[in-house]
Amino acid sequence: MLQVRKLKKTFAPPDGAPAVPVVDVEEFALSAGEQVALLGSSGSGKTTLLHLLAGILAADSGEIVYSIAGAGAINMTLLSEAARDHFRGQHIGYIFQTHHLLPGLTALENVLLGMSFTGRRADRSWAAHLLERVGLNHRLEYKPGKMSVGQQQRVAVARALANRPQLVLADEPTGALDAASALQTMELIRSLCAEVNAALLLVTHDLAIAGKLSKQLQLTAINRAAHGPAPQQAIAGDVA
Amino acid sequence: MNLFELILKQMRQRLLSTLLTSISILLGVTLAIAVLILGRESRAVFAQSDYGVELVVGPKASPLQLVMNTFYHIDVSPGNIPYGLYEDIATAREFSDNGKRNPFRGMASWAVPIAVGDSYKGRRIIGTSPLLFGADDAGEPLPLTDENGNSRLSRIPVFRTGERYSFSEGHAFAANKLEAVIGSRVARELGLRIGSTFRATHGVPAADLPLGEEHNLEWTVVGVLNETHTANDNVLFIPLLTFYAIFEHEDALEKINALQEGIASPAPNRAPATAATTEVQRPDEGYTRKPDGTIEVKLPKKDWQVSAILVHTRSAKALLDFQFILRNLPDAIGASPADVMAKFFDTFLPKISMMLIIISTLVTVVAGVSIMVSIYNSVMARRREIAIMRALGATKARILTTVCLEAGFIGTIGAVAGFLAGHLLTSIGSWYMYRTFGASLPWWRVGGMEIAYVLCVIVISLLAGLVPAMKAYETPVAENLVAA
Repeated sequence: MLQVRKLKKTFAPPDGAPAVPVVDVEEFALSAGEQVALLGSSGSGKTTLLHLLAGILAADSGEIVYSIAGAGAINMTLLSEAARDHFRGQHIGYIFQTHHLLPGLTALENVLLGMSFTGRRADRSWAAHLLERVGLNHRLEYKPGKMSVGQQQRVAVARALANRPQLVLADEPTGALDAASALQTMELIRSLCAEVNAALLLVTHDLAIAGKLSKQLQLTAINRAAHGPAPQQAIAGDVA
Repeated sequence: MNLFELILKQMRQRLLSTLLTSISILLGVTLAIAVLILGRESRAVFAQSDYGVELVVGPKASPLQLVMNTFYHIDVSPGNIPYGLYEDIATAREFSDNGKRNPFRGMASWAVPIAVGDSYKGRRIIGTSPLLFGADDAGEPLPLTDENGNSRLSRIPVFRTGERYSFSEGHAFAANKLEAVIGSRVARELGLRIGSTFRATHGVPAADLPLGEEHNLEWTVVGVLNETHTANDNVLFIPLLTFYAIFEHEDALEKINALQEGIASPAPNRAPATAATTEVQRPDEGYTRKPDGTIEVKLPKKDWQVSAILVHTRSAKALLDFQFILRNLPDAIGASPADVMAKFFDTFLPKISMMLIIISTLVTVVAGVSIMVSIYNSVMARRREIAIMRALGATKARILTTVCLEAGFIGTIGAVAGFLAGHLLTSIGSWYMYRTFGASLPWWRVGGMEIAYVLCVIVISLLAGLVPAMKAYETPVAENLVAA
């Protein structure tokens, strides 16, 4: 479903120093419906990699090829920014570390917002169903400010699934939650992705969270630009 | 959730800012719309081409003052002219009072004298002839056809072409009785009815002079006019003869004539020597009343004066001849009310309107800038939200459209509310005008310029949204998602 080849991204520091490579992935693949945890410590380029895969950032070089049923193979790196936006809206769900809900919208409206950029008609009943699935059927008209952090993150999960994506990218989705809520939310993400047959690529530094998924990979194993100790070492060591 | 719902949600989210920005637009548009309506409609009302008369004859003074005083009852009378001049114009007499041949003989199809100087509860009293209401000296309606069946309508005064005064109650007064005809608004607002009596107060409300004492004479209302939608709706009409029966007028006119003839010197520190403003209080009466209710005034006819004469000539040639003769008279002028008012408005209105339009445009531009600043600040505060929407699949063009439309919505709300408020403001102005001098503005009418102005404001608002929209367009998504 996803094929990444020779993907590179560098950032130029503001002080004029030479550009620093942040992502350098030789090859990486994800099958349809597959659920993979990518383990990496802070600053290892996890978020940048997800932004590249989602088309939020443009790659310097390499290929990100999606095989979409009915649309064939689409190389994200060849698309214009607008086309990447459109593709992301239709085929990729994104869960951020913090919920990133719009404060002026209710839970239901936040989920509907995810549908509004696809050009398709917003499916209110599906949005309500997703919120019910994450246990928030009694909070449809609540605004984020009136909900707990855990509830907000569950709304964000429902929003990511709103367009029945092919792939869900989750960036430390439980980072702001306590251990019990984190596991509960992780289980929701996992089961909902399975329900809509979406592949899941989750980046985390939490081994317990990563262990909930069928496959775990060390980011350093695929990203040659990643630095720092592997998460299990970090847990044992003293990475701030 | 569609685009419009999203924009409305965002506007509601920062309701205070949206309201304040809309109000700033509203103020500019209100001012501009009011100026546009006033410019258009006041010209139509005041510079109308149809006053029902061709000329107003008055003393040598400002034609504008003469017209404003005679037709709108604004300002003081510019002075008086001899009654003999009225007789020259109105009658077919061969010789004038000075023994010379009457130069106006046969030129006027009708002429009506006007004498002003008194008021009742703030409403002007006008001394005139029953002819103004299409009646003879006995107050009886004049026949509309002569003995040969020919129409006499051209010999009956009108207040607008084809529109004669008519009565909702009663009839015209007799020329030599203490009777009165009142305008519709006077009847409505002062509660005067047929049989009501009133006494005149010396002076007119708009003269900026203190009103004098009540006169001893008492008039009885015998007729109430139908509404004419002119300043005359707010006026009480009395017979000209009874005007001279007021002792103070009689005394003043005698003094004026004495002055003009060089017989007497004016008393020091005397009030202006016109029938309207001279204040002399004596218990004497200036008339004798006969058993049949008619009166005879003591003031000799040679001393009679009028404030103005309304004239309609028999033909275009007669009008030209009439004007030529007037130009050569030493103490009187003739003014066409339509020409005078049109000239006044052509001279002053465009400049005033332009100045007000410039001011209101500046206000609107400032309001447009306030939209830009408001939306810009909003965009800066919402960079994270914009980044989230981009991450959810919103394109840059979509974000740009959203921001521009939000600015356009705010501008539209302000412009439409301002359009309504402008008409409301004009309605208040119209009410004030009606209260002041009887003429009101059709404030509800919508002109093309108003529509164009409102559309311009909306377009300006959309354009004002472009700067913040470009800022939103360039919002770096990854940076703002991570920064949050």
